[in-house]
Amino acid sequence: MTPLIEAVKLSKQFGGGGVFGFGARPVRALNEVTLSIARGEAVGLVGESGSGKSTMGRVMLGLTPASSGSVRLDGVDIASLRGKETRRLRQRMQLVFQDPYSSLDPRRRISAQIADGLLAHGLARPADIADRVAALLAQVGLPPAHAQRYPHEFSGGQRQRIGIARALAVDPEFLVADEPVSALDVSVQAQVLTLLADLRARLGLAMLFISHDLPVVRSLCDRVVVLYLGRVMEEGPAAEVFRHPRHPYTRALLSAAPNIDPGRRRRRILLRGDPPSPANPPSGCVFRTRCAWAVEACATAVPALAEAVRGHRVACLRVEDAALLGDPDINGPV
Amino acid sequence: MWVVRRIGVAFVLVWIVASIVFLAIRMVPGDPAEIMLSQGGVSPDAAIIAELRDQLGLEKSIWVQYRDSMRGMLKGDLGVSLTDQASVARQVFTRLPRTLELIGFAALFSVLFGVPLGVLAALRRGGWLDRVVMALSGLSLAVPVFVVGTLLVLVVAQWLEWLPAGGYTPLARDPARHFAQMVMPALTIASSLAPVLLSMTRASVIDVITRDHVRTARAKGASPPRVVLRHVLRNALMPVVTVLALHLGTLLGGTVLVEYVFNYPGLSGLLVDSVNARDYPMVQGVVLVISVLFVALNLAMDLIYGVLDPRVRRA
Amino acid sequence: MRRISTLPVVAVGLIAFVALVVPWLGLPDPVQIDVPHRLSGPSWDHWLGRDEVGRDILSRLLWGARSSLTVALFSAVIACLVGTTLGVLGGFLGGLVDLATIRLADIVLCFPPLLLALLVVTLLGPGASTLIPVIALVYMPGFVRVAYAGVLGVRHLEYVEAQRALGVGSARIMLRTVLPNISGPVMVQFSLAMASAVVLESGLSFLGLGVVPPAPSWGLMIGAARSTMAQTPLPLLWPCIALTITVLSMNALCDAVRSAVDPHGAVPRRLRWLLPPLPSGLSLAAKGASLAVRDLEVAIDAKDAEVRPVRGVSWEVAPGETLAIVGESGSGKSLSGLAVLGLLPLVARPAAGAALFEGRDLLRLDEPALRHLRGADIAMVFQDPMSSLNPVHRIGTQITEAILVHRSVSRRRAWQEAVELLAKVGIPDAARRARSFPHELSGGMRQRAMIAMAIANRPKLLIADEPTTALDVTIQAQVLELLAGLKAEEGMGVVFITHALPVVAEIADRVMVMYAGEVVEQGPVAEIFARPLHPYTAALLRSAPPEDGSLPQAIPGTVPLPQHLPPGCAFAPRCAHRQAACEATHPALEDVGPDRVTRCLRWRDMSATAQTQQVTA
Repeated sequence: MTPLIEAVKLSKQFGGGGVFGFGARPVRALNEVTLSIARGEAVGLVGESGSGKSTMGRVMLGLTPASSGSVRLDGVDIASLRGKETRRLRQRMQLVFQDPYSSLDPRRRISAQIADGLLAHGLARPADIADRVAALLAQVGLPPAHAQRYPHEFSGGQRQRIGIARALAVDPEFLVADEPVSALDVSVQAQVLTLLADLRARLGLAMLFISHDLPVVRSLCDRVVVLYLGRVMEEGPAAEVFRHPRHPYTRALLSAAPNIDPGRRRRRILLRGDPPSPANPPSGCVFRTRCAWAVEACATAVPALAEAVRGHRVACLRVEDAALLGDPDINGPV
Repeated sequence: MWVVRRIGVAFVLVWIVASIVFLAIRMVPGDPAEIMLSQGGVSPDAAIIAELRDQLGLEKSIWVQYRDSMRGMLKGDLGVSLTDQASVARQVFTRLPRTLELIGFAALFSVLFGVPLGVLAALRRGGWLDRVVMALSGLSLAVPVFVVGTLLVLVVAQWLEWLPAGGYTPLARDPARHFAQMVMPALTIASSLAPVLLSMTRASVIDVITRDHVRTARAKGASPPRVVLRHVLRNALMPVVTVLALHLGTLLGGTVLVEYVFNYPGLSGLLVDSVNARDYPMVQGVVLVISVLFVALNLAMDLIYGVLDPRVRRA
Repeated sequence: MRRISTLPVVAVGLIAFVALVVPWLGLPDPVQIDVPHRLSGPSWDHWLGRDEVGRDILSRLLWGARSSLTVALFSAVIACLVGTTLGVLGGFLGGLVDLATIRLADIVLCFPPLLLALLVVTLLGPGASTLIPVIALVYMPGFVRVAYAGVLGVRHLEYVEAQRALGVGSARIMLRTVLPNISGPVMVQFSLAMASAVVLESGLSFLGLGVVPPAPSWGLMIGAARSTMAQTPLPLLWPCIALTITVLSMNALCDAVRSAVDPHGAVPRRLRWLLPPLPSGLSLAAKGASLAVRDLEVAIDAKDAEVRPVRGVSWEVAPGETLAIVGESGSGKSLSGLAVLGLLPLVARPAAGAALFEGRDLLRLDEPALRHLRGADIAMVFQDPMSSLNPVHRIGTQITEAILVHRSVSRRRAWQEAVELLAKVGIPDAARRARSFPHELSGGMRQRAMIAMAIANRPKLLIADEPTTALDVTIQAQVLELLAGLKAEEGMGVVFITHALPVVAEIADRVMVMYAGEVVEQGPVAEIFARPLHPYTAALLRSAPPEDGSLPQAIPGTVPLPQHLPPGCAFAPRCAHRQAACEATHPALEDVGPDRVTRCLRWRDMSATAQTQQVTA
């Protein structure tokens, strides 16, 4: 099945240059990331700060140009599109933001903001717009009667739903959700997650769900990609990666997440030190400076993303090494 | 290093300013020499015009003129005054220190009045002290500088006879009179600068006091004076320094009015006289020097800012 | 934007109106010379007297208003239109346009305004037709800067990015979104420009280089009256007063516009709050506890009424114990912690209750005594280490300050201790790091530094307000380990405020769950998580993604604001177990076991359900 959207060896660099050579050192936010998403598939992109996950979302949508590599929608390189075709692109892919408080214009009614997309692409006649907006609001679980209100009259969770409605207005095939629940209270997060899952099922949306929260990603996504300092560390089916993480970083990430049930806690693998600066990444495997299993070889070669088990790929030189597997999988069969 | 970069930018700005001043004079329609000489309403003799043109170098091509002019400026030669054939540079640099001294005192008074009052007003925000201080400050700001000066002359010099009405005495000759003559002009300038510093200080202190790191300082058990001095002031004064620099630059032009009112023979007075006499080389020279000072001042303040705020050094 | 205060608007309006209707007021000719009657004082025909060549002063005053204001208005309008357009284009289009407009503005700004005006006047001669363009030029850069900065600020706002993502055209975004957003600062700049233009014009006229005589202008009148001021001060004073009043009104208008555009919050009162005396029977010795808080209430004085975001909260921490205070936004958890140390924001104050520590009530302690305890016996760690550390002081200095404020040791000894503390909290290369500034450290290191600062004086109690919320998961794990280790070593009591239940499970011995400003459940962690006796606690436990990968369960509705609390139980509107009684009466805290309380009328039913669930599992 051809993927709906794929990123091929995507790299993105910020900064660099500057006058009289006094410029800042370039920062590599993404380094040869390859990722594909099929129609209707939800892929989770997981990483901490500095991993480049937000950049990835924006480059895939074409909001920021890639420094090298390409993004293909239905096989067509989006960078090669011109004029009207770029507009059409905007209709097929949409973005949901992290901060519900800054993603809506405080000065405009929400009906106008939801209708922006409809008007920009001529998807509805002016007479029909009110009805379309009402239908969209109903779809995200908000009372259509509130369409004429301003953003400040809604709570964080409700604003996030408005943002989703706005994105859905243009009938996209692909949705990038950039940490859509991180800024919300725990009890409200579940509301928005349920909505996203529901919409996905009903509308058949493909989704890239960007988050730092592994358990949340697992509950919503089919596959998960783990990013560290702009490179893919591990990739595979969500449940599989969760139960049998193979990359040392993924294992540390999962073990670091605090757990309510003491019986289910993993042995904590503490990472050494702090993440290196993206402007000055380590040679070879970017994770080696914090990895408890690093050896000399890790500094010389960048490990390739190799398939360990079917569909489950890991970028680590020592993945085969029995010592890495360490403690038995404590999450056992459920 | 960022210091080098800032200095480089300053040089470029000065060069641009000099070029503009050069161009401005030559953009006046008609023959500059003829215009200069016909001010009195008398048609000048063609020979005199030709001599002036030669003197001004107007016969040469514009590029040559430009190059000569720039080269001259770098050497410190600003041409020759039309009114008395004296060197422009010499006149300018005789008067420059006087204006700088005046501005220095004005800045001193402004800081002494404005900053502490601003801090007090901020700490007693909403109280009667705050309201009184802000009202007085607003009034002082509203009265234009030449009005303040004129009224001061009227009241202090003519009615009360406490201080001389104006003029200048070199420091070496009579220190007491030298300073006495500077008090009123400096206070006049301060009357428009102190309120600005005051309200900027006040706003800045109010802003910093609500910041998290001040709360941390209190959580450590630091006493209020300590919190204010070590944690609030240093952070709050940075924008004030910027504003001071901005306004000192404006003052360089603003002393025109004050020097005029108090008959203070500074640089700005020279400017007004030469404007009235249409003495173009003199005007050009004075404007150039003042602009250079302005740029230099901004540069100095940028550098000081870098010392105060370590975050800037990295940028 | 808020309403603008009326007085300055009225004042300026009046002046403008007068200037407008001057031609129809039937005044004497302002340029009519009458030398024999020069400098005559006020009379019936000439209310303000005559000037040095016999012209009527009042007439010249009012006509002068007209010319000054006209020049100022036209200059400001031109500067505004041209400057704003340039700034917006530069900010929005970027590239060469950006460079050109900003550099141009910078160059104009190189000339002090009066100087620039003088230069142009020299070249082109005085008069209104020269004045207006040159004054406009002088104030244009201000508009360029303001518009440019405004556009840049807005361009990166997420809702603008959203519009671009939706495919909305640039022109439309600029008109619909950018312009309304910069209208405020532009208006402020306009009022500033007008006020300054009036002053600049008068200054130039004063020098004889502005409005051409005999046309009247205040500056001109003042300049002319100088020569005769020794004889008659009145001709000097009238224009001075007129000018001052006008500028004062315009400045006041500027300030009013600025406050309307960018309002600040209410001015908090700074009095030390007086709490009602302690209720009798409250023993000052809290048995065995380090800190015992009883019935704490915090009030915030909003515009019309008083709001209580914390009501009737009681908790205790024993030495060496960790109490977690859990709640979402609006629960009042942070305020409870800040209240104990007297660090509430200025708009809030403790309204009732007591906080007992070593036999004294912290809420009723005077400030010097409280300061004595802060940072020594009771220390606090805050959420955002970047903003909580002073950016201009080195880390080591900030830690030594914590030491020196409470103990008299030498500077050198204090520095040594600081370095040791940094090493203790796991910062590598501590001696060198101590000389760093906060912005040079990563988030995790900054938080460790804050912890080092807090434990510098070996406190008996540490209050941590969401210390790991802003940190990455792996860093959070490190910091939690650190805190656990320190607690074990020092025997510190810890109050850990957080919104994340999993974190609570890991580090706390006892937990207090807060909702909408009240305690809803409290007790040992293991018990509460195994057998929650309040629907909110149970719902909160279910809203974390479960282990099997299924979706978490949502709680419908939102947290009520303290101003709009429902009658009865605050959680009832969202509760799946609610009954009529729940919405009618406000439940009180009930003891449901040793060291367990809950605020639910139906806790027995919950307990029964939980037991049945356990049996079938």
